[in-house]
Amino acid sequence: MNDFFSKIGELFSTPEYIDALLHGFLLTLQISYFALLIGFFLGTIIALVDTAKPSRWLAVPKFICRVYVGIIRGTPMALQLFIMFFVIFAIKGFPSIITAIIAFGLNSAAYAAEVIRGGILSVDKGQTEAGLALGLSRFTIFTKIVAPQAIKNVIPALGNEIITVIKETAIVSMVGMYDLNMAAKDIGSGQNMASYIVPMFVAALFYLATIYLITFIVKRIEKGLRRSDLRAEE
Amino acid sequence: MEDKKTDLVIKNLHKSFGKNKVLSGINFELKEGERVVVLGPSGSGKSTFLRCINWMEEPTSGKIIFDGEEVTEKNIRRVRRSIGMVFQHFNLINNMTVMENLILAPMKLHLMKKEAAEKRAMELLSHIGLTQKAKAYPASLSGGQKQRVAIARAMMLSPEVLLFDEPTSALDPESIGDVLSLIRELADRGMTIMIVTHEMSFAKEIATRVVFLDRGKIIEDGAPEEFFRHPKTERVQEFLQKVL
Repeated sequence: MNDFFSKIGELFSTPEYIDALLHGFLLTLQISYFALLIGFFLGTIIALVDTAKPSRWLAVPKFICRVYVGIIRGTPMALQLFIMFFVIFAIKGFPSIITAIIAFGLNSAAYAAEVIRGGILSVDKGQTEAGLALGLSRFTIFTKIVAPQAIKNVIPALGNEIITVIKETAIVSMVGMYDLNMAAKDIGSGQNMASYIVPMFVAALFYLATIYLITFIVKRIEKGLRRSDLRAEE
Repeated sequence: MEDKKTDLVIKNLHKSFGKNKVLSGINFELKEGERVVVLGPSGSGKSTFLRCINWMEEPTSGKIIFDGEEVTEKNIRRVRRSIGMVFQHFNLINNMTVMENLILAPMKLHLMKKEAAEKRAMELLSHIGLTQKAKAYPASLSGGQKQRVAIARAMMLSPEVLLFDEPTSALDPESIGDVLSLIRELADRGMTIMIVTHEMSFAKEIATRVVFLDRGKIIEDGAPEEFFRHPKTERVQEFLQKVL
C-alpha cells in the first residue's frame, strides 16, 4: 500500500507523466466532443426523416436511414473503427484524429437518432392534433409544440450517449492513438514506473471526474426544462 | 330556419382504417345556428365522422364542402381556422402557459397582433373565471379548467362551427357541469355546434337536431323531440332504452 501511494506521488511529480496523461486526456475530449457534435447533428436529421409523415419522395431516405441505423447498431464499434482506419481512410498521412472523430460521430449518430426518434414519438398525438385543428402548419407544430416536448424527454438519454461516447473512445488505443487510456498504459509500461495499477487508477479518476461533471450539468438542464411539468404555479 | 346559410355539406363520406370500414356513405348538411348532437353506440363512427369534417382524419372518399368550397389538401388549413375543435382529452399544449395556448394560433396565423390577442384572451379567461391561471401551465389545471381553456382557445379564432368530440367524457362529475354550462352559453349565443356526447339529458336540452349513427351510417336524423319520443328505427329504440 505504501508503494501505491509513493507511486502516485511519483506520477504526479514527474512532469513527463503528467504531460502524457493531459495529452491523452485532451485527445479523448477532442474526439468525444467533435464526434458528439456530428452524432447529434446527424442523429437529429435521421430522426426527423424517420418520424416525418410518409410520402413518396421520403420513401428512399427513410429506407436509407433505417439501413444505416441497423448496420451501425448491429456491428461492434471496434470493428467500425478498424474499417475506418484500415479501409476507408487508409490514406497515408491522413490525420488519425479526424478518422477517429468520423468513426465515433457516425456511430453516435445511429444511437442518437434512436433516442431522438423515441423522444419525438413520446409526445402525445393530441398535441399535434391540437395544432392541426387550429390551422397551424406542420412546421410550426413541430418547432413550437413537438420539438420542445421531445427535447425534454430526450435529455437524460442523450446525456447517457455523451457518457457512452467518452468512455468508448478508449478503444482508439487499439489503433495506436495516444488517448487517456493509452497514456495510462504507456506510463505503466515505462521503466521508471513499472506499475500499471497507479496510472490506470489515475486515468479512471480522470474519466470519472469528467463523467460526473457531465452528469451534473445534464441534471441541471433537465431540471430547468421540467418547469412546465410542475403542478405549482409560477 | 329555411333561409339560414348552409355551412357544411358532406356527400357520400367513406372512411376506412386499413380493412376496417368505419364510415360507409355519410350524407349530411349543417346549417348556420344548428346544434347537432351525434349519438350512436360505441364503434359506430361518431368520433370519426366528426374528425373527418376538419380532416383530423382524411376521408377515404366522398366530399366535404365548407362554405361552398370543397375541402382539399390545399385549403384545409384555412378551413380549420373556421372550424374549432374541442377534444375529449383537451389537448392543451403542455409546454405553453394558458395564455400562450390561447394566443398561439391567432399570432402564428397573423390574424391578430400580440396585444390584441392577449386582450381577447383575457376577456375569454375572465368569462370562464380563469384569469388568475393565465400564466399557469396546463399541468397545474384541473380537467374541467383544462377543457374550458380548450374551448376558449377554439373561440380565439372566432370559428363558424365548433366541433366537440366527447368534451366531458374524461371529466369528473363536478367539472362536467362547468363545461356543459359553457357549451350551453355558446349555444345560446347562436354558435353552430356539432357535439358527440354521452350526456343524454344535455343532448336533449341543447340539440336542435339529433343524428344517430350505427355501423358507419346515419340511420336517424331529426328533431330531438321526435328522436327521443318517437324513434323510427328499432336500433334507436333499443339504444334509448339502454341509456335513458
